[in-house]
Amino acid sequence: MLQFKLVLLGDSSVGKSSIVHRFVKDTFDELRESTIGAAFLSQSITIHPNDGNETKDVVIKFEIWDTAGQERYKSLAPMYYRNANAALVVYDITQEDSLQKARNWVDELKNKVGDDDLVIYLLGNKVDLCQETPSTETSPDSNEGGDEEQKVRAISTEEAKQYAQEQGLLFREVSAKTGEGVKEIFQDIGEKLYDLKKDEILSKQNRQIGGGNNGQVDINLQRPSTNDPTSCCS
Amino acid sequence: MLSPERRPSMAERRPSFFSFTQNPSPLVVPHLAGIEDPLPATTPDKVDVLIAGTGMVESVLAAALAWQGSNVLHIDKNDYYGDTSATLTVDQIKRWVNEVNEGSVSCYKNAKLYVSTLIGSGKYSSRDFGIDLSPKILFAKSDLLSILIKSRVHQYLEFQSLSNFHTYENDCFEKLTNTKQEIFTDQNLPLMTKRNLMKFIKFVLNWEAQTEIWQPYAERTMSDFLVEKFKLEKPQVFELIFSIGLCYDLNVKVPEALQRIRRYLTSFDVYGPFPALCSKYGGPGELSQGFCRSAAVGGATYKLNEKLVSFNPTTKVATFQDGSKVEVSEKVIISPTQAPKDSKHVPQQQHQVHRLTCIVENPCTEWFNEGESAAMVVFPPGSLKSGNKEVVQAFILGAGSEICPEGTIVWYLSTTEQGPRAEMDIDAALEAMEMALLRESSSGLENDEEIVQLTGNGHTIVNSVKLGQSFKEYVPRERLQFLFKLYYTQYTSTPPFGVVNSSFFDVNQDLEKKYIPGASDNGVIYTTMPSAEISYDEVVTAAKVLYEKIVGSDDDFFDLDFEDEDEIQASGVANAEQFENAIDDDDDVNMEGSGEFVGEMEI
Repeated sequence: MLQFKLVLLGDSSVGKSSIVHRFVKDTFDELRESTIGAAFLSQSITIHPNDGNETKDVVIKFEIWDTAGQERYKSLAPMYYRNANAALVVYDITQEDSLQKARNWVDELKNKVGDDDLVIYLLGNKVDLCQETPSTETSPDSNEGGDEEQKVRAISTEEAKQYAQEQGLLFREVSAKTGEGVKEIFQDIGEKLYDLKKDEILSKQNRQIGGGNNGQVDINLQRPSTNDPTSCCS
Repeated sequence: MLSPERRPSMAERRPSFFSFTQNPSPLVVPHLAGIEDPLPATTPDKVDVLIAGTGMVESVLAAALAWQGSNVLHIDKNDYYGDTSATLTVDQIKRWVNEVNEGSVSCYKNAKLYVSTLIGSGKYSSRDFGIDLSPKILFAKSDLLSILIKSRVHQYLEFQSLSNFHTYENDCFEKLTNTKQEIFTDQNLPLMTKRNLMKFIKFVLNWEAQTEIWQPYAERTMSDFLVEKFKLEKPQVFELIFSIGLCYDLNVKVPEALQRIRRYLTSFDVYGPFPALCSKYGGPGELSQGFCRSAAVGGATYKLNEKLVSFNPTTKVATFQDGSKVEVSEKVIISPTQAPKDSKHVPQQQHQVHRLTCIVENPCTEWFNEGESAAMVVFPPGSLKSGNKEVVQAFILGAGSEICPEGTIVWYLSTTEQGPRAEMDIDAALEAMEMALLRESSSGLENDEEIVQLTGNGHTIVNSVKLGQSFKEYVPRERLQFLFKLYYTQYTSTPPFGVVNSSFFDVNQDLEKKYIPGASDNGVIYTTMPSAEISYDEVVTAAKVLYEKIVGSDDDFFDLDFEDEDEIQASGVANAEQFENAIDDDDDVNMEGSGEFVGEMEI
């Protein structure tokens, strides 16, 4: 199993956590008002990379770090960015300035995370709010019976797509509410990361088989099963 | 006991949010806690507690209060986390030194900095380094370690073992013999000494109960006790008091020294053959970030670059430099370095801690056990040519700790000596370390076989024979390449290991009488500055005392228990079995033979 750290970025209320919530729990909470924080969540997916005519299953576990609201006053700690393998930078397609803010977050990320292999995924969220309603005049009628207000798209797909291409970002428009595109995000990231890291992963596996690891003993110690760290002490 | 003015616990305040049973069972936090709880969209205009300063104690306190259910606003005037326990880059240190010398950082004085041109414009960048303002080591059996696990903050951190403790004596660095096995196999120890040492170790593990042994010496010094009662010789006495006990001078009293020696011994072998741990990427600065993140998850609001200007105890309104205001219904807690201008209640910081931090371009692997990148070197009183009366402690971290790049090492030296003597002592210790290193690197490889030793259970220990040789006659041919030298004096109200007394925070008793007209800090509680203590031992005590001042009782200090994946499944939460979504529990690690390993670990 491969494990990767994934961080979330984007302005408040663009739906960062809703996307994770949809991915991890497969639910959507209507009452969510603003960014919410969780310690970190983990969720595994399986990808099917094709390595030399042979398809195999690779399990990828994401350790997903939410901002816990610390982004609101630009108070994210270095710890948050450290060793991140992937980042979801989220904007709201109905909020005009949210793509510009996402651009700032991309700059911040590139500045803070040293890894050149960092996979950045630009996500336009809330496509459910303006689906199939290019004309603003007709939208209220087509939504009869629904209590959800239709909104005007403020950021075109083309604009965001072009920016993503320039910066080498993955890009997709999604809806955390309906779940549209959410599973695919993580599948894309898993495959991209596997692609980027597979040489590293293979050489690490070989090294472990060989036994030598540059003199560095690299061992995980299980913490005691109770909360008292002294209980296993003899 | 629940005092009448005790604030309701988190469970009591958010009954719809948390499933809980009756007291006193710990609060159970559902695994998706936080993600269920929408935060308010704007700055709170009213909070329960305002904390200024994101140092170690303040961060632990913020997390404890957030999980207890208090509404916390946690600010820092700096643009980084950590305050007095920050881990800083070289550029941040440069700014900090300027601020100290301008007088805008209180509690620090006399900062002197040298930075080689190799950092910044040369082969290293400022961000390659993470320098701690008050470095600490974590004992494997300690209150902070329990809280790291309970709060799950340990999941944000990585730890490495620290097993090498050197004592400098007669111009050489002896590696500590600290296990029974090592004592038995040490060929330099006379049989009688071995027996006496064993006797003492057996006693100290349960010393409190054996009053008949130590009580007669309660008011005398530890060295008298060891010499008279256990017939130990000076080298063993010094190792016990200064390397194992990490005491600061020969005046240390018996109960305190016994407690400190036991701390080391009981920590040994909890996670492996080492007593202490160090966190990667930085020490207290890293732990502070972890606790702040935990507090944020628990609902606290964070705002860096926010400076407190004043607090009015009558209206209970705190005012910040940017003009914003917040009403504080309970208490305002301030780090002494973040006190508003015109403060008149900041406690006197009468103890000096002198620190010298160096980055050396040399891997210095001879100081470390194989697989490790940390070591403690202790210079006992009288061991240096400056004739030091107080101990100088040197905490060494290599590139494996990720605070400096490959091929470099960081030396943190500190002493509790007061006044101008302190700098002389530190300089003498630095010179001794420099000499030892130069001799090591300049001599050939002819002694290679001696360096590698096999221990009884078959694994290799690189034990530098040469470090244990006197270098009295040695004349260095070259000088060591220093990349960075930072000297500063820190002031604190707490003597080392002077466990914080709760009366220290009693500024709020008889409020009216304590108010000073014109003071901008009437009615606030100040935290303590970090002391010289090299371990984290005072942190939890200080945070707990403050917690009690705010909540009314410390009964529910981190009294929480996170729900695990299994429990979710057992309680039948929908979809739980389809998803591996519990807060990561690191269940895929190996318990077998954990005692054998040294190196990186998760606790």
